[in-house]
Amino acid sequence: MLFFAHTFEQTVSYYYLARILTVIVVGIISTHLLRAVIKKMNWLMLPIDKVLPKLFIAVIITSIFFILFQMGVYQVFNLSENKRKLDFTTRLLANMLNIGIFIIPWTLIYYFIHYIEKSSKQQLDTLKLEALVKELELKTIKSHINPHFIFNALNSIRALVDENPIRARTAITELSNILRSSMQAEKLETVTFEKELNIVKDYLALEHIRFEDRLQIEYDIDEDTLDQPIPPMMLQTLVENAIKHGISKQVNGGRVKISSDFRDDYHELVIQNTGFLNGAANGDGFGLASTKNRLMLLFGQKANFDIREVNGNTVEARITIPVSLAK
Amino acid sequence: MIRAIIIDDERLARNELKKLLLDFPEIEVIAEAANANEGVEKIDSLNPDLIFLDIQMPGKTGFDMLSELERAPNVIFTTAYDEYALKAFEVNALDYLLKPVEPKRLADALQKLQVEEDKEPLSDHPISVNRSILNEHDQVFVKDGERCWFVRLSDIRLFESVGNYAKVYFGPNKPLILKSLNALEERLDEKVFFRANRKHIVNLRLIEKIEPYFNGGLLLEMKGGEKIEVSRRQTVKFKEMMSL
Repeated sequence: MLFFAHTFEQTVSYYYLARILTVIVVGIISTHLLRAVIKKMNWLMLPIDKVLPKLFIAVIITSIFFILFQMGVYQVFNLSENKRKLDFTTRLLANMLNIGIFIIPWTLIYYFIHYIEKSSKQQLDTLKLEALVKELELKTIKSHINPHFIFNALNSIRALVDENPIRARTAITELSNILRSSMQAEKLETVTFEKELNIVKDYLALEHIRFEDRLQIEYDIDEDTLDQPIPPMMLQTLVENAIKHGISKQVNGGRVKISSDFRDDYHELVIQNTGFLNGAANGDGFGLASTKNRLMLLFGQKANFDIREVNGNTVEARITIPVSLAK
Repeated sequence: MIRAIIIDDERLARNELKKLLLDFPEIEVIAEAANANEGVEKIDSLNPDLIFLDIQMPGKTGFDMLSELERAPNVIFTTAYDEYALKAFEVNALDYLLKPVEPKRLADALQKLQVEEDKEPLSDHPISVNRSILNEHDQVFVKDGERCWFVRLSDIRLFESVGNYAKVYFGPNKPLILKSLNALEERLDEKVFFRANRKHIVNLRLIEKIEPYFNGGLLLEMKGGEKIEVSRRQTVKFKEMMSL
């Protein structure tokens, strides 16, 4: 307004200054009132289509308020232009249009700034929540060690105390290693494959005590892969499943084979066990689905996990982790 | 002397239990089995008083094995950790031991068994009795989905034929078992269980009311409120039996 005043009026009269002052004061008061209403009614939280009609009415009311106020002030201080003599309603409408042109964009700008601010905050909150959920998911997967295994192992060890005390002693060490690593797993994102493999070896040694000749164990490990990072307890969980769903279901037992090698730019881990899939991949889905999620969270989209039946009597689980991404 | 069989797929677990049982001279372990099929075989041939039964076994679970048996012996379950199974126990108050077994718990379980035995001698096996016929004091193991029961035959009021299955009525429960009514009739004591018609076998001791029915038949009302029609042909037999 001041800008307009300066460009179009060369001489700034007393009347003009007073009128501009009035407009500014009235403008500040009325838009503040509008803002108070918007805040009080919580319109910022409403979706756009609901808020627009309300906003429109509010703007009209504000404009009327503005005009009446302005005209009242003009009247009292005798500031009105004397050039044209118009009746009250025409002046009201004309002024309303005049003022509305300023109030509408003003309100819209105000509204949209807040709207954008709010929605970006909302997005941030959603992201934070997702991150939290993922973290929790990882924790529950990591700390998973089958209690059935622990108590069976303890039972076997108790029987071994008399039968083979030396084996019983090593078995206790093996069990402590597994328990310790499952507790530490919660704190770590990844461990070296070597560390994880040692746990799995302890685990299978214990299961071998239980199953005796019903369980054959085979390793085919490329030594260069031992330094590769993998998520803690992931191999362990898969081997545990191989025993639980594979070997322990077979009257005559079977074989568990663990292979680790490089293939192209990937570190490939394969766990094979005697048994059948039986829709376990879908039914018992939480473990398998979360294994895949966990890999992707840690190593990106190129990491993969799948499980399938091969040769009619073997279940094969395969983890692939891109080497370049894994430092 | 209680003759017992241990059924568990792990040799060490069997050994451990045998060792614990050495402290109980009244228990004689007469055999061991490493899976459900072996278990059924040995139970059928040796007819033990008691079995220690592992739940998780390769092939068939302990529950599956029990439901295959004609007559369930006394059972003490052994399990390392099995939430679902334990839930089933709690509902039906069956006894179980958690591995590794605490000697005190084992003593309690055996004690409880002795008390029950004294109250109602289950297997005072008189040599002359034909074991292929089920006595009314015999118990059967019934499994229906997640739930399972040990039921004494004397508590069963009605068998109803449903296709290849038979619905077993006892208390508020009516689970299905995979047995035909004809097969059941052969094994049940005819002094207690009566074939009322093509579809029903009733327990004569659990009849509430008898009313005449059309065509010279009878209508039986069981203790549980079920109304069973006795066919005309069977009515003659029924009257004969009841007049004795």
